[in-house]
Amino acid sequence: MQKLLETVLIGISTGSIYALMSLALVLVWRSTRVVNFAQAGQATLSTYIGFEIASRSEIFWLGLAFAIIAGALVGAGVDYFFMRVLFKHAISGPAAVVAPVIATLGLLGLIRSIVGLIWGGEFKSIAAPASKDGFTIGQTTIPFSALNVLIIATVSLILITLAITFQRTNLGLSLRASAYAPEIAQLAGIRTARTRTIGWAIAGGVGGVAGMLVTSYNFLSPYSLDLLLVFGFIAAVIGGLESMVGSVIGALVLGIGLTFILNYIGTSLVFIGGFVVLIVVLLVKPDGIMARGKTRRA
Amino acid sequence: MELWREERHAVRKKIALFILLGWLLLVIGDRVDELRVYQGAQIAMYTIALSSIVLLTGYSGQVSLGNGAMMAVGGYAAALTLNNLGSPVWFAFLMAIFFSALFGALLGTAAARLSGPYLAGTTLALAVGLPAIANQFSFLGGEPGIFFDVGLPAQSLGEEFTQYKWFFWIATFIALLSLFITSNILASRFGRTWRAIRSNPLAAELSGIHSSRMKILAFTISSALAGLAGAVLAMTISLVAPGAYTLTLSFALVTGAVLAGVSSLPGVVLGALILVAIPEIADVLANRLGGGENVSNYLPGLIVSILLILSVIFTPNGPGENLRKHRHKKASSH
Amino acid sequence: MVQGRTCESIVTKKPHRIDYCEVTGRLTAGNTTLDGRKTMIGKTRRKGTWLAATVLAAGSLFATALPAHAEPGVSAREIKLGITLPLTGAASPGYNKIGNAMNAYFKYVNENGGVYGRKITLIQKNDEYSPQLAIAKTNELILKDKVFALVGPLGTATYTAVHKSVGLAKRGVPSLFLNTGFSGFSDKKSYPTSFMVLSSYAMEAKIVAQFLKDNHAGKKLGLVYQNDEFGIDAITAFKAAGTKFDVTVPYTSGSQSAATAQTWVSQLAAGGAQVVVFFGVTSATAPLLAVAAGARYAPQWILGSVGSDPLTLRALGVPVAVLNGAQTPAGNPSPNDTSDEYVKQFQEINTKYNDAPFDDYVLQGMNIGLMTVQALRAAGSNPTRKKLISAMESKGSSFASVAYSPLGYSKTSNVGHTGYYMAVMDANGDRKPFGGTVKLYTTDSGSGPVVLSTFKRPAMPAKGLPSNS
Repeated sequence: MQKLLETVLIGISTGSIYALMSLALVLVWRSTRVVNFAQAGQATLSTYIGFEIASRSEIFWLGLAFAIIAGALVGAGVDYFFMRVLFKHAISGPAAVVAPVIATLGLLGLIRSIVGLIWGGEFKSIAAPASKDGFTIGQTTIPFSALNVLIIATVSLILITLAITFQRTNLGLSLRASAYAPEIAQLAGIRTARTRTIGWAIAGGVGGVAGMLVTSYNFLSPYSLDLLLVFGFIAAVIGGLESMVGSVIGALVLGIGLTFILNYIGTSLVFIGGFVVLIVVLLVKPDGIMARGKTRRA
Repeated sequence: MELWREERHAVRKKIALFILLGWLLLVIGDRVDELRVYQGAQIAMYTIALSSIVLLTGYSGQVSLGNGAMMAVGGYAAALTLNNLGSPVWFAFLMAIFFSALFGALLGTAAARLSGPYLAGTTLALAVGLPAIANQFSFLGGEPGIFFDVGLPAQSLGEEFTQYKWFFWIATFIALLSLFITSNILASRFGRTWRAIRSNPLAAELSGIHSSRMKILAFTISSALAGLAGAVLAMTISLVAPGAYTLTLSFALVTGAVLAGVSSLPGVVLGALILVAIPEIADVLANRLGGGENVSNYLPGLIVSILLILSVIFTPNGPGENLRKHRHKKASSH
Repeated sequence: MVQGRTCESIVTKKPHRIDYCEVTGRLTAGNTTLDGRKTMIGKTRRKGTWLAATVLAAGSLFATALPAHAEPGVSAREIKLGITLPLTGAASPGYNKIGNAMNAYFKYVNENGGVYGRKITLIQKNDEYSPQLAIAKTNELILKDKVFALVGPLGTATYTAVHKSVGLAKRGVPSLFLNTGFSGFSDKKSYPTSFMVLSSYAMEAKIVAQFLKDNHAGKKLGLVYQNDEFGIDAITAFKAAGTKFDVTVPYTSGSQSAATAQTWVSQLAAGGAQVVVFFGVTSATAPLLAVAAGARYAPQWILGSVGSDPLTLRALGVPVAVLNGAQTPAGNPSPNDTSDEYVKQFQEINTKYNDAPFDDYVLQGMNIGLMTVQALRAAGSNPTRKKLISAMESKGSSFASVAYSPLGYSKTSNVGHTGYYMAVMDANGDRKPFGGTVKLYTTDSGSGPVVLSTFKRPAMPAKGLPSNS
């Protein structure tokens, strides 16, 4: 019973970080129709910047703030300087299916190499903003710690902020409109290109938070966020790629599922577990759990 | 009758071409030092692996980021066959093809229902997850892997005939053979059908093509090729281990395929050459720049990424297409 | 028509090829239809020509002999050596300092005259602790950089793969001072050109087993080990020594993380282990100790020599204080023990030529450098790979080395050091001999007994510069 409880709690904590990454991917997919593999690279770069600030100032939250700002700037930059160029060279022919995927993969490699050239491959660690000591319930101590609570709280705060932005503000309305029907949005006077860049910036900032949170209980290296990308992407696909709510639910399902595999089956099967969860969901509902026929959710 | 003869003619011409190519490679293999011979074997391995992507993505229009996983299936099938059955080496390679094809057929069945990003995601998850399975079951040898030893070259080839030259010969033979077979498949009815599905799925369905069946077939053949490449890779390092079939490999393959033009079969040789050459070039550059460890560790990645981005933007369908366009323009302006 | 001409032209120039051309042509022609025959003959003749040309040209190439090679890696002014080790990746913390430490020592020797006037160049390659990268990098070292010998290659799985795939023994490439204690490498027949330096994991486990018997009898025992040759070597020795663990937790190399460490700790705690023996790398020690401290699980730790470096743990974000009281088998003196002549000299070199903090890994790197220079000197002023190997066999056992235990090199043995003493760590991560004085135990990797030794190691060469021959 205690093991079950700790599995669910750790699963939620892990899943909530996946949720940020999958949310970032969904935001970009909705606005640009591109699965942004470079999201991991962007997050890595912002996390390294956050790491520098956090380790110099010894204030984690200052590092996090800088990671968000850096992530947003990098995200906007990628859209403005990279994706626009890519779309100007409208791609046809056999490569059309792969071109966007490849382009963002290339960008991932580029950012990662730059990070490697600057910071090297050694593992870095950031002092966690809260204790990693597990809570004690009665006689036993479970591995669920104050840090886990803080992670869940941070993610919740960001999700609520995003929800309010999307539902209650003009910016949110433009973002939803441009994603839902870009042509009509443009006719209605929304500057869709600028709105899209803002979407990328939001995604970048969210990705930066995910990177910082992962690093708070693990190490940072140019490759350390790869798994976050993979699991975030799986979560996004489970959620149907279109729906922000779906991506969060997908991430929690995945986080809990993987922690179950880790605690009950075996550490080596965690990775293939992601694949199994994904394929089961896709075979039952090929468009993800939040799909409702052919309509797009805004 | 005439048509049939034409086709036979073309096939014979191709055979001659491949034999010539093989002969050229043998000559080259004898004239260069052992490192180049070893790299030659790697190029042959990448050639097979890239042709699997060309068939899948360039022809049937399905994106796979998980070819490294298919290669792992082939590598492990070959090594387990050789070690446990004590079979001849060629049979191990055959089993690599068989099991990876089987695996590809299963995966293809699921993949045929998925489109674009969903398929990319599924294969990505596979690339991450599959090799790690080796750690769970002891007969797969865990992280250190299991040995795959094709044996020493025949005595009759002489004292100076090194192990690596032997690898080069085997890899080159397999690569030429699989290129030959693949090019024939692509030139056949199947190749045309795949192209039809890729460029207009709806029209293809309407003209009576079972597109999902054809997609599964493409997945199966592509997977068989990847599996074969995986076994060749295992041969060149005498080992199958999860560390040999990483996400990095899967990404490198997609990169190579795009650099060479994703729908051009002859292009795969160029793509394979680039994949092997880039670390070399980066090494030379790193030594020139003298920036130390970080430069030599991350410069290859930087070069590959820049090349990849440039080629996606400027020559998304490979350098061949731009040449053709250029020639076309010239021809029409006259 | 063109094809026919091709065939003819060859026929006229080199008549002996006619047969092949015609034979192939005839064979294939037999399969064609009547009306196609003439064309087919023409075509297949051409193909036959290709084939003939191919076979003959390929055949003629075999006759060309390859030029004889000079001794690789040795010139009048330089000896080139190579090492593969993880400079980045999960297993790199700690190990990534060894190469630079060796380099620092070599720089020191080079500035003081080198080895018989030759400067030593060490080429480091990053294998990320992955077997297939190690193979690729070793290939580069041997085929491209043409190094004279490998020194200090690191990792059990990686070296096993390299040795087999690259064929080090067959090529006669000396491979000195392996940075692995896997006792399998002590098989001189299979590894005729390889020489170990660390006391084997089997020896370590036997000495720990003796220690458990003497000091922790009756307690519940736990074991965490890396599930490859490294850990299995230890397990086998524990079994042979009759040590029974109540909880055993294997982990896969590369899988170590905070998340997996949580599962290890829950298993150990659930099994009630009071003494936990750990045989793994430092990047696994770090999450294990951190998670255990977090879960307020505090058994008596016995950390294997491989994964217990305090500075590396600190770099991985683990407070060194958690090491307080941990017991560990050790071969070398503490890197902080400046009363030791080796440590003192190496520290001086480190300060001058290397900007890394002086820890166990730097000490180990420097010491491999010291032993390498002795081996090169022993190989004489005109070193060859063969001479180097026979020098190791005949003179290696008398080399100066920082470790307390005797070296086992001989014509029939490639075993390096052969013993350990038990030490206790304090809250600063420093280690002191268990019980106050160094009690060195020696043993072998097989069924030999664990013996309290009185061996005195050779003195450090003056100024740390070997003058042996």
